[in-house]
Amino acid sequence: MTNAATAEFLADLQDALPKGRFRAVKAGELDDPRGRHVGLAAVVATPHCVDEVSTIARLCHAAGVGIVPLGGGTGLVLGQVAHSGPAPVVISLERMTAIREVYPSENAMVVEAGAILHDVQAAAEAVDRLFPLSLASEGSCRIGGNLATNAGGLNVLRYGNTRDLCLGLEVVMADGTIWHGLKRLRKDNTGYDLKNLMIGSEGTLGIITAATLRLFARPSKTAAAVFVVEDPKSAIDLLAMAQATVGEGISAFELISGVGLDFLTETLPDLRQPFEVRPDWCVLIDLGVSAEAVPEEMLLALFEKALAAGLVSDGVISQSEAQRQEFWAVREHIPVGNRNIGSISSHDISIPVSRIPDFIPEGIAKLQALGDVRVNCFGHLGDGNLHYNVFPAKGLDRKDFDDIRAAVKKTVHDLTHAYEGSVSAEHGVGRLKVEDLERYQDPVKLAAMRAIKTALDPKGILNSGAVLRAAGAT
Amino acid sequence: MKVLVPVKRVIDYNVKVKVKADGSGVDLANVKMSMNPFDEIAVEEAIRLKEAGTATEVVVVSIGEKKATDTLRSAMAMGADRAVLITTDQGVDIEPLAVAKLLKAVIDEEAPDLVIAGKQAIDNDMNATGQMLAALLGWGQATFASEVKIEDGAAIVTREVDGGMQTISVKLPAIITADLRLNEPRYASLPNIMKAKKKPLEEKSADDFDIDITPRQTIIATEEPATREAGIMVGSVDELVAKLKEGGFV
Repeated sequence: MTNAATAEFLADLQDALPKGRFRAVKAGELDDPRGRHVGLAAVVATPHCVDEVSTIARLCHAAGVGIVPLGGGTGLVLGQVAHSGPAPVVISLERMTAIREVYPSENAMVVEAGAILHDVQAAAEAVDRLFPLSLASEGSCRIGGNLATNAGGLNVLRYGNTRDLCLGLEVVMADGTIWHGLKRLRKDNTGYDLKNLMIGSEGTLGIITAATLRLFARPSKTAAAVFVVEDPKSAIDLLAMAQATVGEGISAFELISGVGLDFLTETLPDLRQPFEVRPDWCVLIDLGVSAEAVPEEMLLALFEKALAAGLVSDGVISQSEAQRQEFWAVREHIPVGNRNIGSISSHDISIPVSRIPDFIPEGIAKLQALGDVRVNCFGHLGDGNLHYNVFPAKGLDRKDFDDIRAAVKKTVHDLTHAYEGSVSAEHGVGRLKVEDLERYQDPVKLAAMRAIKTALDPKGILNSGAVLRAAGAT
Repeated sequence: MKVLVPVKRVIDYNVKVKVKADGSGVDLANVKMSMNPFDEIAVEEAIRLKEAGTATEVVVVSIGEKKATDTLRSAMAMGADRAVLITTDQGVDIEPLAVAKLLKAVIDEEAPDLVIAGKQAIDNDMNATGQMLAALLGWGQATFASEVKIEDGAAIVTREVDGGMQTISVKLPAIITADLRLNEPRYASLPNIMKAKKKPLEEKSADDFDIDITPRQTIIATEEPATREAGIMVGSVDELVAKLKEGGFV
């Protein structure tokens, strides 16, 4: 367990740093976005540079006081929400937002951890490059948090997740020492890969203060289409066909269910939907191609081929960028519709792609045996990542399902495990899925993770209770 | 009743427009092009008239490069019956008067009962072709339409004017120009795009007409609007006042 931050400790901490590096908690900033818990903080530190982060870590380490690094606070698994135990020092990276260097010719840029994802994207665009990480919270999440959680998002199919977009890191270790690892190399086989260990560690092994990110050429032409498919099996066959015919041009391949569209009709009637007759399943396909190609023609050719193969029955294609954005608005509002309806339980899972067609109906049947529920299954089909969220049947209230919530979650996660899937595809473990990790993770891997945690953070001060159970806690 | 709709291929509304380095115009190389949004509204209105049984045929016409074929196919995917393309030399800017004269020639041949055009093209914002065409034909015109009804050989058109709405009646044949609120254009469905590939598209050259389309205007310069300068943060009211005085604002 970590120690409580005494008044004396906090005074020492303040003395060790320039003025104006500490502030009170702002309303809501430590709240779980899904409203389950509120995070604790002895104080919020707002360091301006890596040396100040180092000083804070050194003092916390000496006193055994916990540290929780904070980015945009948009994580969905309580990774940034320390809601029990002694109140930690929350280190907000909000003052470390610089784009330090941009190397267009190397397709790389160095940014500080507090830079907001949207600003990172804009800095890349300013030199006619693409930083492809894109997710719903990009206007407020910070790149350090994206790295710490190995965030996924909409472009993983083409560009990989955050791990694949990072070349180097600068990290403050638990004892305050600084790892200067801001390399810009594509090849660097020099022993253990500390960078990839830090990415996805959710602030439990070090505090990321800066990163070298990979940039890409911007696709100069884009177009989107929504294809109506009969079922998820057709959607997966369509994905294989699309990869064979269009290849790398596919930026996104998103599954949308009729249930999700119903939620939009029920709660956001003004949002324009692509079809007058609501399909049971459809997929949003986004293409980004080079200047010489014509993405609309590629999508039409794919549709014709898929129609001949019986995989699709209808579809629309964007005739302008405005229409493309309207199609994306439908996909991006599905989580809003979900929030408006109010889920019983939400799950961020991944399944081997070829087994998804069996998984989806089997899960729905098992869940409907538990109660009168609806399942909105949607997400990044191309990555095998499903958001498999369970809702009350129309007219019922989620409160009436409190007693089966745990059973719902266990049903989905047990089935996911049986299908060789993962119970956290892109959201991380945080404090929410510590037990799931213990239940489903390979025991050898779990033991190795504990050994690494002990080696790098012997006092257990870094984001204690996230990913792994805190030593001594039950 | 036959309805004719002129459509223009323009730089996509959502593309950030870049001025060529030499200031001679807008950079169109490898830029996404789409149907002029007001023309899309005009096409939608014509198709709705056909669906309502008021119109029997919708003909779309475009004047420009060969690539305007894509725009005409889009209009036919929405529901237009056939298309006429008048090709011009690449890179030549066709001014509204020349467009109106070419359209008049097509109209003399096609004899439509109604022409619905976009109120303006978003590339050069001239807002002139519809009006010039009405004058050349000697037809009535109803510009900035937000509602259209056809009754007893006349179009009852609600117009968006300064400070409110005006409803007028124009005898057919007539020119209507579409404003933003007239309708919301439908999405082109993929099955209809496949069908549109087989719809007739007649191609003519501007040279086939005895019309002088040489530009009468000379573009002197094209410039980006001035960019907003970054602001500064001040620590107090006194400092704010001092800065304002320093800058000569108070």
